[in-house]
Amino acid sequence: MSWRTKVRAAIVSMPILMARPALAADDPAVLKDLTAVIALQGQPCGQVVTATKQGDNDYAVACKDGSRYRVFVNAEGRVVVQKQ
Amino acid sequence: MPPVRATTPAPPTVIQKPGLTEQEKQPAAPRADQAPAVPPPAPPVRVATLDLGSLEKRLRDTKAIGVFTKLSLKNEVDDLLEQFRDFHQSRDQTRLAKLRQAYDLLLLKVLSLLQDGDPGLARDVSSSREALWNILVDPDKFKNL
Repeated sequence: MSWRTKVRAAIVSMPILMARPALAADDPAVLKDLTAVIALQGQPCGQVVTATKQGDNDYAVACKDGSRYRVFVNAEGRVVVQKQ
Repeated sequence: MPPVRATTPAPPTVIQKPGLTEQEKQPAAPRADQAPAVPPPAPPVRVATLDLGSLEKRLRDTKAIGVFTKLSLKNEVDDLLEQFRDFHQSRDQTRLAKLRQAYDLLLLKVLSLLQDGDPGLARDVSSSREALWNILVDPDKFKNL
């Protein structure tokens, strides 16, 4: 592969690597953390089964019982569990 | 040679129930070289009490709780401290029972979050329950938090 081809490939792949689409959080620790937060705030959930990262400290979650929440940290630094 | 008679008196006859063990057959009177029959003292139980600062540090450092949960707990602790601040300003003793309820509930939440992942910290938090409560209800100690 020539030097020019390598540079072209790097340029083409850059936006793909830099793009930050909504990511599914499969880490069991994150799911457990979100489950605990929802329970702490007294909301029904059972267990968080999927979580999609929407931004820094911002997740859209789906629970085992079918409930959906947005869990995020607001500007005042409070964790908010918002029913969707 | 005539038989020699013993000059020392014979030991007293002790009538015992049949079937006793050798230990049970011993006379009940304590000997001088024996300690009185007091049960040995129980080994000291280590009861750790945490001050609020070290509790906060250990909660921050523990891996048993996730970041969101820690932040949410911090929000709840801050809310409770705000209620105590109001209580100390008003000096309304009727609010104390409600505060105790809120305090117990928060501690219960903390313990349930810690008990599997960090049982040591859970134990220390549990044993510090009254010490922490005493800090919160004492106006002078609370002022120095």
